Amino acid sequence: MTAPSSPGAVRTRITAAFTDAGITGQLHAVDIDTGASHGIDADTLVPTASVHKLCLIATLYRQAALGRLDLRQPLDIPAEGRSPGATGLAAMRDAARLSLRDLATLAVAVSDNTAADLLFDTLGLDTVNQCMADLGLTRTVARHTMRELYATLREDSGGTPAALTDPAVVARLRALDPARTNHSTPREITGLLTAAWRDDICPGEHGQEYAEELRTVLGLQAWSHRLAAGFPFDDVRVSGKTGSLPTLRHEAGVVEYPDGGRYAVAVFTRAAATTVTLPAADAAIGRAARIAVDALRA
Amino acid sequence: MCRHARQRNRHHHGRSKTHIAIKAIAEHLSLLVMDLLLHLRYFRTVAEEEHFGRAAERLRMAQPSLSQRIQRLERELGVRLLDRSSRGATLTPAGRLVLTEAEHLLTAADRLTAAVARVHKGEAGTLRAAVPPRLGGAAVGALLIAFRERSPGGDLDLRELPTARQAAELTAGTLDAGIVRHPCPAPGLTFGPVLHQPLGVLLATTDPLASLPEIPTAALTGRDLVLFPRAEAPALHDETLTACARHGCTPADVLEATGPDFVHGLVLSGGAAALVPHSPPEPGTVWRPLRGNPVTWRTSAAWPQGRDGPAVRLFADTAHETLRTHAGMLTAPSTRMVFPRPASEFPL
Repeated sequence: MTAPSSPGAVRTRITAAFTDAGITGQLHAVDIDTGASHGIDADTLVPTASVHKLCLIATLYRQAALGRLDLRQPLDIPAEGRSPGATGLAAMRDAARLSLRDLATLAVAVSDNTAADLLFDTLGLDTVNQCMADLGLTRTVARHTMRELYATLREDSGGTPAALTDPAVVARLRALDPARTNHSTPREITGLLTAAWRDDICPGEHGQEYAEELRTVLGLQAWSHRLAAGFPFDDVRVSGKTGSLPTLRHEAGVVEYPDGGRYAVAVFTRAAATTVTLPAADAAIGRAARIAVDALRA
Repeated sequence: MCRHARQRNRHHHGRSKTHIAIKAIAEHLSLLVMDLLLHLRYFRTVAEEEHFGRAAERLRMAQPSLSQRIQRLERELGVRLLDRSSRGATLTPAGRLVLTEAEHLLTAADRLTAAVARVHKGEAGTLRAAVPPRLGGAAVGALLIAFRERSPGGDLDLRELPTARQAAELTAGTLDAGIVRHPCPAPGLTFGPVLHQPLGVLLATTDPLASLPEIPTAALTGRDLVLFPRAEAPALHDETLTACARHGCTPADVLEATGPDFVHGLVLSGGAAALVPHSPPEPGTVWRPLRGNPVTWRTSAAWPQGRDGPAVRLFADTAHETLRTHAGMLTAPSTRMVFPRPASEFPL
């Protein structure tokens, strides 16, 4: 009998979890302190969707630590011209004024697209990409803001939301082609999270404080149907950021056990079905992540 | 009944007038109370069915008669309890209030009836108690012996009942005290201090893991686990498997088995490991603790709120002691950390 934690056995079980949920997936899970890891297609480019907000928030805190911006700086948010989205400022109706770091909180907590784009506009896509490159993540690239990303969806689907469940339409979406949209790899995303948890993102005299606040913000996501669903334990902390586009369901985050074990996990999946609501596919992300983390802990 | 009362009054005619008056009032009062309870029962049935016809059918009485009785109750109380329409009957705000109070009265009346019935059967001095399944023979034996020693003359009627049944019977007044496993529904119950019963694994002696003195929980990943049937206690079943998962064990499959014979058979058949509290091994099997006791069943004595008489107290204390000494139960392990998640919605 093969040991259940051997790399081959782990890959087999993770693949089975994906297949069982009607999805295919890429995964990278790494022990933040030892570097031990398990992966499936961990170096293949993948469209990041809202997972790219991790790069955005990390850049914001790095720039702040470098003294290039003040996280408390308020931004005026007019009622008009907001990036589309179902949550947060994107769903709210009236003018508001929020600090950069509170926008970051909204972008993580409820994947607020308006908040994210205000930060993208403040920082610039180039700054975000340069920050990733400085961290050694050269295959992690943002080509457009959230509003530009959704504009490609609208153009490619002819502006009818129902078309986004048409397999023929989904097959030609630029947003699903890593070469033409924001992209990264599972290994680079866990690399980014590892850097965030090893205090490697925020340099400078007050780097530690910025790093701690960054991790706090990354722990604020409100939903728990994907990564966190795989770790239904009161004493285990799960920080994560989801990403979704037609047929794509992702989440990347960090799982911390009370014995000190901490693991960065990135799971990127693609469903055969174009159905928008697929709870089994969401749950499979947590299941796959736990198989990997259990193997790293065995 | 009225005639009977009159006869009794005549019979007592020789006594003082005051005595007769008190007796007459008391009897009238008891009639009213009995009548009130009966009418409240009719009212509760109509409220549950939201329909006079269906309620009458359930009560096996004629609908006009039921309607009259509800009207009488409304007259007595001086409030309208139900709004009638062609579709049925719905509670008025006053009706909702009366229904809530009626539930308390009717529950208390049921308790009273049960208590009187026990007096008639000569069982009033018996403590009716229960233990959950799989508590372990040694623990049950020790509990019975210790209770007998400490309560000479006091009888203990001990049954084996799953936790959910115990909670229902404790509420209904057909059980005085119990030993329950948590999660246990809490409304109306008081619990004694919680003890933790560690689970271990029953393995075939030929199992490669059997050579280890303690089994790391993660080593059971990918195996078939044998556990009690989920339907018996769904919350505990899930909690047990979640605790396994927390410590790195995701089983290939979970096999459900009730009796020790079937559990034993599944383990002997090879491959399966049974999650059970410490028990004397049967031929061909060994029991091993899980390293660090990561999976425990929380257990405590329970009784209906405010009903901890001396016998119940004695049972609870005796249970606590015998479970610690004879069932290997532990007092609370170190407090677990809790990291609330945003989805839990409440701040800690």
